[in-house]
Amino acid sequence: MSAATTTFAGDKRGSVLGRLSNPALLLLPAGLFLGFIYLLPVIDLFRLSVSGPTWSVFFERVFSVPLYWDSLVRTMQISLTVATLCLLLGYPTALLIRRTSGITQILITAAVILPYFIAILIRTYAWMVLLGRNGPVNKLLTGLGVLSEPAQLLFNRGTVLLGMTAVLLPIMVLSIYSSVSRLDAALPRAAQASGAGPIATFWRILLPLTLPGMGAGFLLVFVAALGFFITPTLLGGPGDQMFAMHIVQQADFINSEGFLQALAVVLLIITLLFVGVAGHFLGFEFIWGGSRGEGGAAHVAAARASEGTPRRSLLSGVADRIGWPALRLLSRLSPAWGSWTVFILAGAVIATLILPILVVMVISFSSASFLTFPPPGFSLRWYEKFFSDPNWMDAFWHSAVIAAASAVISVVLGASAAMGIVRSEIRGKSIIMLLLVSPVIVPPVVLGLSLYSLFLRFDLVGSIWGLASAHAIGGIPLVVIIVSAALQSVDRRLEQAAALHGASPLTVFRTVTLPAIAPGLAAATFFAFLHSFDELVLSLFLSSAQLKTLPLMLWADINYQLNPVLAVVSSLEVLLVVIGLALAGPVLARTRAGA
Amino acid sequence: MATELASLAEPSAGAGMSGAARAQSAIGAGIVLRDVVKTYGDFRAADCISLDIRPGEFITLLGPSGSGKTTLLNLIAGFQKLDSGEMHVDGAPIDHVPTHKRGFGMVFQSYALFPTMTVAQNVAFPLRMAGVDRTTAERRVAETLEIMRLSEHAQKTPSQMSGGQQQRVAIARAIVRRPRIVLMDEPLSALDRRLRESIQIEIRELHRAIGSTILFVTHDQGEALTMSDRIAVMDAGRIVQIGTPVDIYRHPQNRFVASFVGESNLIEAEIVQRRGATMALRNRAGYVFEADAGHGIEVGRATVLVRPERIAIADGPGPHAMPVTVTSALFLGEVLRIEARTDSGETLLIRCMDAAGRSLPAAGERLHVSWGAADCWVLA
Repeated sequence: MSAATTTFAGDKRGSVLGRLSNPALLLLPAGLFLGFIYLLPVIDLFRLSVSGPTWSVFFERVFSVPLYWDSLVRTMQISLTVATLCLLLGYPTALLIRRTSGITQILITAAVILPYFIAILIRTYAWMVLLGRNGPVNKLLTGLGVLSEPAQLLFNRGTVLLGMTAVLLPIMVLSIYSSVSRLDAALPRAAQASGAGPIATFWRILLPLTLPGMGAGFLLVFVAALGFFITPTLLGGPGDQMFAMHIVQQADFINSEGFLQALAVVLLIITLLFVGVAGHFLGFEFIWGGSRGEGGAAHVAAARASEGTPRRSLLSGVADRIGWPALRLLSRLSPAWGSWTVFILAGAVIATLILPILVVMVISFSSASFLTFPPPGFSLRWYEKFFSDPNWMDAFWHSAVIAAASAVISVVLGASAAMGIVRSEIRGKSIIMLLLVSPVIVPPVVLGLSLYSLFLRFDLVGSIWGLASAHAIGGIPLVVIIVSAALQSVDRRLEQAAALHGASPLTVFRTVTLPAIAPGLAAATFFAFLHSFDELVLSLFLSSAQLKTLPLMLWADINYQLNPVLAVVSSLEVLLVVIGLALAGPVLARTRAGA
Repeated sequence: MATELASLAEPSAGAGMSGAARAQSAIGAGIVLRDVVKTYGDFRAADCISLDIRPGEFITLLGPSGSGKTTLLNLIAGFQKLDSGEMHVDGAPIDHVPTHKRGFGMVFQSYALFPTMTVAQNVAFPLRMAGVDRTTAERRVAETLEIMRLSEHAQKTPSQMSGGQQQRVAIARAIVRRPRIVLMDEPLSALDRRLRESIQIEIRELHRAIGSTILFVTHDQGEALTMSDRIAVMDAGRIVQIGTPVDIYRHPQNRFVASFVGESNLIEAEIVQRRGATMALRNRAGYVFEADAGHGIEVGRATVLVRPERIAIADGPGPHAMPVTVTSALFLGEVLRIEARTDSGETLLIRCMDAAGRSLPAAGERLHVSWGAADCWVLA
């Protein structure tokens, strides 16, 4: 059998047809596309950043002007705090999902997943509504007599941290859950049977096994927070400027070329540095939620155990000396405290994720002409206003068309790249996968800036296909991740059986492979569409006054005045996501079960 | 192996003690269950179970899946709470003692080895939790690994080992504390047959050496028969019979036990006559045979169990033989397995040892079979 295969392969290698049928060629379209629209501009960004009189002149300015240096430090602090908060709140939530079952589990999971797919812009806006002068929090506090008059709760460091944590929490929960769900349910029982109490079971068994998931979640959140722009801009005060915000502000000054790119390069390099260090320890698979090898967490841990560096044992020694006795103190409390802690923290998390969205949906039916909660009465006037305003309607159609075009580009290029990577014998698969998926970690501000000069050169600014292509940079990774997971779950023997019974490669693909990955493809299409539909930061750089998208209109309106039309748009987006998830949900569950 | 095992026995037990004496100084605890009930919604997983487990006994819960044996084990381990009833270990109630304070050892079907720890760390875990000092712990771990023949694997992680090795680590972890009770939840079901048989013997010898009470759960009747002091057969949340392997196999109390444990012929027969301790019965085909009349059935019909290996094949027709027609015959090595049909259409399974001059009968061939009073068992 194997001898026969090699002779066939030998025959093929000689012919042009044979070379053309190599699945690795399927990587080419996505490679060319990303090379032109993603790698080239980033390289150009680096070139411009060193184009001063001496190569380092712009960087010296970045690091010597207190404004930027302070902002860089602040960005680090905020990102670190947000990642820590997400970890503290996300862990109990992931545990709660694992511990519950049936309808409760579905509801909690929905409370986490739903916000994950709703635009950051809209979720930030929801917080502005919630904490605004006429918002429910102020109403509640004055009603209870805590405040004598509504206070300014917005525009401070606290709201930035709160908003960013709320926006990024789902990433953390999903990341931890993926490592929690892989655990053998017998492990905690084995620990208990060996005499370990609830706290010892947590500290000795659960924590070490979920460490990779926690690490991955922490880094994903931290890296995303580093490049955050929307939430700190809307929720922060003058003292909360994050680094990405400086890049957008500088972009308005035409004479800052070079320096502007240096700012972006600094942000990009810091991001890549963290990802690189994390990838070294966790494996770069953490970026797309995969795990190194079959055993996942266990495998990584095993690899570590066999390495057995003294530094690591020192660290775990310190943890044992300090962390363990501290936890032992807790064991005096009744065991009910543990479950209550999980319950209360997770409950708070779910409220944080869902409440703002609910408030916005209620307000969209308000009869008042300004934002107030609870609404004095209910009406459809704001829906009427939205559907009758040609500006909003134009923006809606632009967004829909761009998102559809972007989804087509992403799915065609992404799916064929996924085929190429899963089904070819090409070397360096993990490097290629890393390159395909890397746009996910590049701060959107950096991407937008780097694309701007390319778009100017090719006169693409404000064009529908230009924007669709730009959005596809982020759409392709999503498609590649989903479709390659779907492809890997297809049993190769099915394809071999079909071929053995006389089906040509194309027929095999059409009759066996395609039906098997169709659910994955459908889900990938939906997510690529949604990604483009929600995209704001790239559009800020690349759109024109004539081509306004829905997020751009929202952005302008939020900055100008908060009115209930925004709540209408938000509610419609939530509706879109709910419908999409309801359609894709069973499909996703099936692919996950297969994988 | 024998000397290694001896070192496991309590220090007070001298090296020269006989196996029986060692068992007497056993550390095993007695378990008493009284009217234990556990329900999941409408499903009664444990339906009023009472059970007395003697100290140091190897007892097996045997039953098909869903019969409640794992539920019972989980209740004893403390993973689930009783709805009602009582559980005592050595006379003390344990219903409200959490799992980690019960001090039992447990072996899981999936091994449940901690993947982040080495073999030695896994085995040391219960000692660490019990607060045993480092030197003692290291010595005990080394001893236990020695007994389980795992010494050279001490620094490996579970993922680097084979299934059989992992299961031996799991057993080592369960016994390292010399627990009074060791619970085993289908520990061998993931292993292949050869490995299973060798670990069966190992567990058996281990039990003799350490003297712990072992509660073993399995759905494999062969495993239960080979390993146990006593077997509790479970069905639909109840214990339907409890007894020694010989008792369970030879004297099942109902059709379920008779057919679940071993292969069986259940023959419907009519009582023709009683003669003191024996009675004469006639089956549908008209064959008249004798059986012990212990059960007190006076008249009417009875179900009689005849194990396939108790049926003798006669040389030819005779007054005390029943003619049957062979439907299929298999050569299994040491035995022949013959399926035949009586003239009244009932299926009869016959096992006989392979012997010189015995040929495999062909389908359709006529045979003459018989059994004596000692070979059959009248079901209550």
